[in-house]
Amino acid sequence: MRIENCYFCSSRIYPGHGIQFVRNDSKIFKFCRSKCHAAFKKKKNPRKVKWTKAYRKTVGKELSVDPAFEFEKRRNVPLKYDRELWTKSVDAMKKIELIRQKRQNAHIMQRLRKGRELEQDRDVKEVQRDLSLIRSPAAGLKERKKLEESVEEDEKMEDSDSEEMEAEEVVL
Amino acid sequence: MTYKRRKYHKGDTHLKKGWRTKRRTKDLDEINEDIKDEYAPALLNQEVDLDKPGAAQHYCLHCARYFIDNKALLDHFTTKVHKRRLKALELEPYTIEDSERAAGKGNYVLPRKRKIETQPGKDADKIEVDDDDVDAAPATKITRTEDNTLA
Repeated sequence: MRIENCYFCSSRIYPGHGIQFVRNDSKIFKFCRSKCHAAFKKKKNPRKVKWTKAYRKTVGKELSVDPAFEFEKRRNVPLKYDRELWTKSVDAMKKIELIRQKRQNAHIMQRLRKGRELEQDRDVKEVQRDLSLIRSPAAGLKERKKLEESVEEDEKMEDSDSEEMEAEEVVL
Repeated sequence: MTYKRRKYHKGDTHLKKGWRTKRRTKDLDEINEDIKDEYAPALLNQEVDLDKPGAAQHYCLHCARYFIDNKALLDHFTTKVHKRRLKALELEPYTIEDSERAAGKGNYVLPRKRKIETQPGKDADKIEVDDDDVDAAPATKITRTEDNTLA
């Protein structure tokens, strides 16, 4: 008994479930449910259908390349029963599964962090654009005018002073 | 007594007919194998089979189709169907091994892109010269130039 994988969505197929299609070049296509079988009959590309594992991995939504994936493989080699080996491999499987899940979750969190950055940028931009809603552009207008007037007056005074100075120089 | 159940509802038989295994055409991953240099020559130079269209002498590798004569084959090379097929074959097709890799048995490697070109026209000139009279001489020239552009 084996737990097979669906050709279309890559989910697990437990004994007694799903359907098989044997193509005339003797390749066996296994499907977990009629949804996947129908999609195959319609010649859909699993890489382009959003609910499949293949899509999620090609688009980078899930971790696709990692050494943790190298352990589980189809090995068509019979092994003689050895209790020690069996217990060891079961322990190892549990450990590997933990590590794999940790890495996959970390990958997803890493991916979502990017969205957080973009969100912050967007917020900053929005505040800058609509700053007038927070602080009226007319606030402190009178004081600013007064300031400008006083500055102008000062400049005029300075100008007249310098003119006098020049005149004096000429006289000298 | 048994009797035939009367069918009141036709349903989607027109769709299901297309899915019948007897009407199945080759899948992209099968064609991907056919394109390879080991298998391509055998498909391009098939023995005369009178059951197949054109006695299996004019075969399009990428579309897995037989044509009745060389002209039909060359015309087919300029069609949208053929070009669309070339485009579809540019990316390596999805296989059973891919589905297992996506399930976590091994690393899921992205499919590579390659350039796919139409098969070179095969000894078309000989056949046309044999079949046609002197009048058809310019026509053979045209086909020759077409071959060059396609190849």
